[in-house]
Amino acid sequence: MGGRRWDVGRALALAFALGASALAAAPLTPQQEAQVRQIAVNIRCPICTGVPITESTNDISREMLRDVREQVAAGRSARDVYAYFSARYGNFVLLDPPKEGSNLLLWGAPLAALGGGGAVLWLFLRRRQNAAAPAPLTEAAADEPFDPFLAQVRRDLGQSSTDRSNPGRNGGNP
Amino acid sequence: MTDSSTPTSKSVPAPTWRRFVPPLLAASLVAVLGVALLSPARNNTDGGPLIGKPAPAFALKTLDGSTLSLASLKGRPVVVNFWASWCAPCREEAPLFRELSTRQTAGTGLAVVGVLFQETSEKSARDFIREYALAYPNLQDPGIKTGINYGVSGIPETVFIDASGMVKHMDRGGLTRERLNVGLEKIGVKGI
Repeated sequence: MGGRRWDVGRALALAFALGASALAAAPLTPQQEAQVRQIAVNIRCPICTGVPITESTNDISREMLRDVREQVAAGRSARDVYAYFSARYGNFVLLDPPKEGSNLLLWGAPLAALGGGGAVLWLFLRRRQNAAAPAPLTEAAADEPFDPFLAQVRRDLGQSSTDRSNPGRNGGNP
Repeated sequence: MTDSSTPTSKSVPAPTWRRFVPPLLAASLVAVLGVALLSPARNNTDGGPLIGKPAPAFALKTLDGSTLSLASLKGRPVVVNFWASWCAPCREEAPLFRELSTRQTAGTGLAVVGVLFQETSEKSARDFIREYALAYPNLQDPGIKTGINYGVSGIPETVFIDASGMVKHMDRGGLTRERLNVGLEKIGVKGI
């Protein structure tokens, strides 16, 4: 009987010690708790597929979350924590890798391509507008000496203004 | 488009090189895509941010109850294998480690160390070691501290550390003899 009571007492003491150690391990303020959440939601569970450690319940996620908690408690910033994990796992471990270094290329290239393409399109359209504006037909007609063969070709292609003004052979024939 | 006289007019100085720009752009795009598709660099089982860096230190309890630290193996090439009894590829590569463990020598020779990763049953681990007659220390890693420090993202994972304590090679997934030998060569150990 006494032995059993002692056992119960020891179990209680153990439970108390465990509870105390758990409390001692996580003396975080609500702000720090929020910071832990904010940081951890961007850290990938390395043995899952695209799941942050906050959503995974396996051992390694739990330990990594504990790691984050400890580091936040020690006053380390999100940047430090991310650096800590990516030094071990590579940027793979971050669900939203920092936009710097070679990652910048990934983010910048589509924007640069969009800008470059837009500029080329704008230049192209402007040039076409300029070319179309000063009545190229009269200009061409004024510059070129009359060439009966060219006139014939233009008539056949149905592209000459003379052709349009004068339906002639093409227009006349069904 | 509507007027064929515009391109032939003298305002455009016939830039032949410009005719090659679109095909060249297309060709280079196809080349980049082809290289990206055909190069298996991203699917490689080796590499990682630890390569070329000092191996993270550890001092862990073996299943026998004694403590082993990486520092105590300084001066020897070390192969660290993360495994667990529930992991099927670990089982497949275990005979290779059995063979490798016979190559260990004291002094400055090779040392092989196993580290349990998320092992659920100590008894199963012991049975595994007995089954494959693994003649090297196997360490418990409570809290997976060492696993996290080595960036273990799945097992088996094998780390090759040279005599100066630098990580020279890492391989993820079940090892074949060839892949094991690649790692061994990098730490100056003759292949098996």
